[in-house]
Amino acid sequence: MAAVKETIDQVKEIDVDKYKYGFKTDIEMDMAPKGLNEDIVRFISAKKDEPEWMLEWRLEAFRRWQQMELPTWARVDYPEIDFQDLYYYAAPKSTPGPKSLDEVDPELLATYEKLGIPLSEQAVLAGVEGARVAVDAVFDSVSVVTTFKKELAKAGVIFCSISEAVKEHPELVKKYLGSVVPTSDNFYATLNAAVFSDGSFVYIPKGVRCPMELSTYFRINEEKTGQFERTLIIAEEGSYVSYLEGCTAPMRDENQLHAAVVELVALDDAEIKYSTVQNWYPGDKDGKGGIYNFVTKRGDCRGKNSKISWTQVETGSAITWKYPSCILRGDNSVGEFYSIAISNGHQQVDSGTKMIHLGKNTSSRIISKGISAGYSQNTYRGQVSAHAKATGARNFTQCDSLLIGDKCGAHTVPYIESRNSSAVFEHEATTSKISDDQMFYCQQRGLNEEEAVALIVNGFVRDVLQHLPMEFMAESQKLIGISLEGSVG
Amino acid sequence: MEQQVVKLTDAENQLADLLKAAGANDASNALSAHGLPHRRIEEYHYTDLRTLLRDVPSDLAQANDRLPDVQFEGYGRIVIVNGKLVHADEIGGVEIKSADAAAKSVGNDQIINLMDGLAQNQIEITINTSLDKPIHIAHVHDGPDSVVADKVRVTTAEGVHATIVETFEGANARGLRFANFALDVAADAEMLHVQLDQNAEGARQFVQNTYDLHENANLRTLASHANFKLGRTDIKADFKGEGAHADFAGLTLLMDQQHGDFTLNVNHGVPNTTSTETFKSIVRDRAKAIFQGKIIVAPDAQKTDAQMMSQGLLLSERAEVLVKPELEIFADDVLCAHGATCGELDEDALFYLMSRGIKRAEAESMLIRAFLAELFDEMENEQVRDKLGDRVDAWLAAAE
Repeated sequence: MAAVKETIDQVKEIDVDKYKYGFKTDIEMDMAPKGLNEDIVRFISAKKDEPEWMLEWRLEAFRRWQQMELPTWARVDYPEIDFQDLYYYAAPKSTPGPKSLDEVDPELLATYEKLGIPLSEQAVLAGVEGARVAVDAVFDSVSVVTTFKKELAKAGVIFCSISEAVKEHPELVKKYLGSVVPTSDNFYATLNAAVFSDGSFVYIPKGVRCPMELSTYFRINEEKTGQFERTLIIAEEGSYVSYLEGCTAPMRDENQLHAAVVELVALDDAEIKYSTVQNWYPGDKDGKGGIYNFVTKRGDCRGKNSKISWTQVETGSAITWKYPSCILRGDNSVGEFYSIAISNGHQQVDSGTKMIHLGKNTSSRIISKGISAGYSQNTYRGQVSAHAKATGARNFTQCDSLLIGDKCGAHTVPYIESRNSSAVFEHEATTSKISDDQMFYCQQRGLNEEEAVALIVNGFVRDVLQHLPMEFMAESQKLIGISLEGSVG
Repeated sequence: MEQQVVKLTDAENQLADLLKAAGANDASNALSAHGLPHRRIEEYHYTDLRTLLRDVPSDLAQANDRLPDVQFEGYGRIVIVNGKLVHADEIGGVEIKSADAAAKSVGNDQIINLMDGLAQNQIEITINTSLDKPIHIAHVHDGPDSVVADKVRVTTAEGVHATIVETFEGANARGLRFANFALDVAADAEMLHVQLDQNAEGARQFVQNTYDLHENANLRTLASHANFKLGRTDIKADFKGEGAHADFAGLTLLMDQQHGDFTLNVNHGVPNTTSTETFKSIVRDRAKAIFQGKIIVAPDAQKTDAQMMSQGLLLSERAEVLVKPELEIFADDVLCAHGATCGELDEDALFYLMSRGIKRAEAESMLIRAFLAELFDEMENEQVRDKLGDRVDAWLAAAE
């Protein structure tokens, strides 16, 4: 059917052939030797000039990691990773402490330009008055440029690289690092704890509404470097922050490992909104290459009335293993998860969320939309649980899958655990393709086939799209297929 | 993969010995190597038998001929006591015989091994013509505490219509029962299969029902979980012919510290098949109701329509409902959905009824009956419906 073909083409837009971010930058790299042992951990720590306690923390994680086994429960299939055949540290050589963009390697800037990162003032979105996006741009492992720092400092917001935070705010890092995702949490999180290269650190003081949306762009560069980001966001009492994370990576042959950890802490009445657009290299049309993405993301609603909201658009990576979760510890806290996961080619996505209700009157909402095409496998795996003391817990879950083509798979694996009677959980899941009835209904009202498909797919993901911040919504719509959004009113 | 266990529990050792005594050496060795299924085995995620099944009787049940208490008026009756066929009515068009237990059950876990290894006989039933009166298979477990394993194999001729009602009863206070039932629904045949449990309070029971559905076959099943301390029913259905349809239903009524687990695997292996799954649980006190349902749609099984629903009603603070409704879909032109809800009785509805002069207890029982109504409405067999109704009445009375 032509209409379906149209949709396939649109999904293909994001596919490998047209992977427009597939270019490579040649910059001299400062590398650690291949492999992983205690010396490498020490090397990384020394390279970053870390205090003794940080090194100890890493080493403890590394020792635990050696005892751990690779998790196999996810529905993803990949050749065994040789963890000794990877580089665990790579940093671009740059002039020390660039104060302005002029001092930065022009090739690096050109890379950003190709990515379309709004680094400077011009990046402020036209027409959005007063909107500013601060970029803590990560080029491979080390934060090179941080903008808008001064303005943020005026508000008392700390937004810096995690290595900087270790040096300048050790009391905060000591208090919160590993408090949401413990070092021994899981295989990849423990690996990350041992060798994390860099990442962002955000601290919003009491009662402050962060004056702009914070944003980090990750980029994987040098061949065979695993990238191990570590992000820590702390929102003090009554504060608010919206954080944007977007990813693109150059095209290459070797599979690349990425094992990030993101920890969010929301104290009383605080709100954190975390949005991700992930568009890493998914591998070529035969499934060769592509990023292996094993991410541990978890938010802790530690204070009463706190709120954490995850929104993600997952279109890239050969393997995605990612479950942004919320621990609803504080009374009346709220957790949200909105996700669009698109898989094409030979991509494998195993993603979902966990909502752990511990406090009283906590509520959570999960909206997950999976679109699978080509030979891909797309799994939603989620858990909603109410502890015996979590009276009045409330959850609504909706996970819908759309299948395009008969070689792909869509799977749903929810765990629903109600351990107290006043918890009310509702869960619904559907799997379907675009039905002839839907097509007929739209066409009978005067839409042509193409418009009808656009309308239906648009409607399918809309619930999630509308939760993205402005800047990301544009990028996501582009990813999903401009014409899908654009052709209909 | 199952991992080797370091130290076996007494119960595991005892069961391994029982298997050995029954001549099932491979099964015995496998049990010694892996132990009973535990929470890391995904199918037993919520039913960790290494902790739940700690004491088991040391002997297999001895021959006995106690007749069952449960009666169905006008049914053709087959009585199996302590694993042996002791009585079978003459039923026109039906062949019934007892043979050595040779059939291998579906699956590969230690409970299946126990079912196969401990069963001495298998009761083979062949239904050649459509039946006016339903068949009642009464499983009785009697005598001092013991372990029993029943095995029933049913095959049907093409196009027949028949009803099979199974009852599990036993006075065996701490008994352990394994029951394995396989039904092959031939092309164009229409079958109803009902399982009612009527065990003693302390009984533990593990049931496996496997169904094969051929072209245009039609199957309706209903199983109950109410009378046991620990119970697990493992349902496996395999669609082998196009145009087949099946409805699976389960009723769970638990209280005190009862633990009931329905685990369902429905495999839509061919195109144009449909199924519905409806499982309802009501729990109070510290009881646990578990439902794990998986619908699999094979790569070429286009036009599958599967709708799964599980609903839990929690009447006490400490009761638990644990649900895992899975979809595993490899074809695109399908309609699959699952829904799951759990919660307590709606205060507004209670208030509405009470404001009209109905006492709280009565209002609660009305709402509970309404919650279960769907299961009753779809059951055309009157005697089964009455028996289920009695079951609900008894449960509500006991809870007061």
